[in-house]
Amino acid sequence: MGRHLVFLEQREGRLKDASLDLLSRVREMAGLRGEGPIAAVLAGPVDEGMLPAAAGTLYHAADPSLGLYGREPYAALVEEAVRREGAAEVYFAEGALSADLAPLLSVRLRAALLGGCGGPDGCLRPVYSGAALAGFRPDAEIRIHSVASSAGRQERGGGEPMRVVELPVSAGADPGPVLRELVMRVGLADVGEARVVVAGGRGVGGAEGFRLLEELASLLGGAVGASRAAVDLGWRPHAEQVGQTGRSVSADLYIACGVSGAVQHLAGIARAGTVVAINTDPHAPIFAVADYGFVADLHTALPAFIEAVRELRK
Amino acid sequence: MEIAVCVTLVPDTASVIGFRDGALDTSRISEVLNPYDEYALEEALLMRERQGDATVRVFSVAPASKKPLLQKALAMGADRLVIVEGPESCDPWQTASILREAFRAVYGEAVPELVLCGRESTDFRSGEVPGMLATLLGVPSLSGVTKLEAAPDGTLRLEREIEGGLERFEARLPILLSAEKGLNTPRKTSMKGVMEARKKPVEVLSARDVPEPRVSLESLRPAERHKECRMAGDVRELVRLLRKGEVL
Repeated sequence: MGRHLVFLEQREGRLKDASLDLLSRVREMAGLRGEGPIAAVLAGPVDEGMLPAAAGTLYHAADPSLGLYGREPYAALVEEAVRREGAAEVYFAEGALSADLAPLLSVRLRAALLGGCGGPDGCLRPVYSGAALAGFRPDAEIRIHSVASSAGRQERGGGEPMRVVELPVSAGADPGPVLRELVMRVGLADVGEARVVVAGGRGVGGAEGFRLLEELASLLGGAVGASRAAVDLGWRPHAEQVGQTGRSVSADLYIACGVSGAVQHLAGIARAGTVVAINTDPHAPIFAVADYGFVADLHTALPAFIEAVRELRK
Repeated sequence: MEIAVCVTLVPDTASVIGFRDGALDTSRISEVLNPYDEYALEEALLMRERQGDATVRVFSVAPASKKPLLQKALAMGADRLVIVEGPESCDPWQTASILREAFRAVYGEAVPELVLCGRESTDFRSGEVPGMLATLLGVPSLSGVTKLEAAPDGTLRLEREIEGGLERFEARLPILLSAEKGLNTPRKTSMKGVMEARKKPVEVLSARDVPEPRVSLESLRPAERHKECRMAGDVRELVRLLRKGEVL
């Protein structure tokens, strides 16, 4: 019986990095507190060899019908795992799925829900467009944590895979919305999950200008991000928007090109690692939150920068 | 058809979020409808236009003194406004419970066919009220919807962005949906709309039997983000600095 239960998310048979990172963070925390081993729960089949290595129990419903997300069946599975394990702390990696499941489960389990937390241990969340940081205190027997990813790769740990307990699929009354199609983007990584993000703002000058950013992102194995201005001007899709009304990045390296650094944009990079800013305006607010800055026009600076990175990679 | 939209007021993005004596300085904050709630309301109005016979009722947990600000929802085209006065709280569980009670007061044991909320409020950003309210109402829900199409047979086709891709769903009413940016472009209010809003019915309820909060605010402090920025004179120096910092 473990106190801590981590929900692992798979898409198309692959466990998400964000889930595995969270599992590592929770395992480390539980270890330090002497509260290990931890447990995990997983819905849907995963590819051979994907199961994580960690001491503890993995509650797994491998039925193919759970391959695609379904609100009721997934919720029923987590409830069952919480009950069997007697877990008091339940963790989700923050994302589209946790946004659905965590509130639902908090009502059913009479749990306190700590959303958007910076870590599994305590809950700090940027609020008011990122201008402030709020700490929250739970008051319930069971606590559900939805944890944002942050910069820094986690040790995955090694050894034996988790002990698997197969769980049956429980047929809920009303499955709710039925997922008919999952369309994963190919090519560049997701802006919220990438280790490197190259982001552009109004200074990029147009949709064409983002080619340079794509080139650099692809060279660094990262994703392209965009400021609200760039998205509102129709240069990039909303899925790439970084900031308060967009995504939060957890990249180790964030390169902001022609991004002024409005408060609402900064809200999205609070959990990024190293921030590099390239902007023509030396007084742009982005420099106040950057580790490295370069006052220049990105249209001349980026090609030279890309060339230099290419040289390094040789 | 009954359509309910839940809205809240948040500080305008142009407001200065400052602190005075360790507390939030509210003197320089002006409040507006939460931007995500405007997407929710717009979608409700579009649904009413398609359906013909539908009532769009807007719910908000707020002091009655906020009525003039909330009337913007009526000016956009909602039919009725219900303000629920309750304790000042940032606990989504309390807010969802208060809304659930307000729905009961208005609709009895029936549940509106469609409930729309914003994905999150831009102040506390928990994004939890919609999913909790759906569970309390006993209806399915989907968060962060970016596309909604209603087929003639009543089936809803929904889309939402997920990490690295998108999901397409089929769903039926009743349902609660939370709106993400991109779902639509909220209409502007017209002078005529503003005039008409003044004549539309506003109901003020007060929340009773509010449950104990499950989450409370422990601390609130200004975000300290200032970093020491090392400036490079040219690309070569930038690369050198990044290599030295083991970033590249």
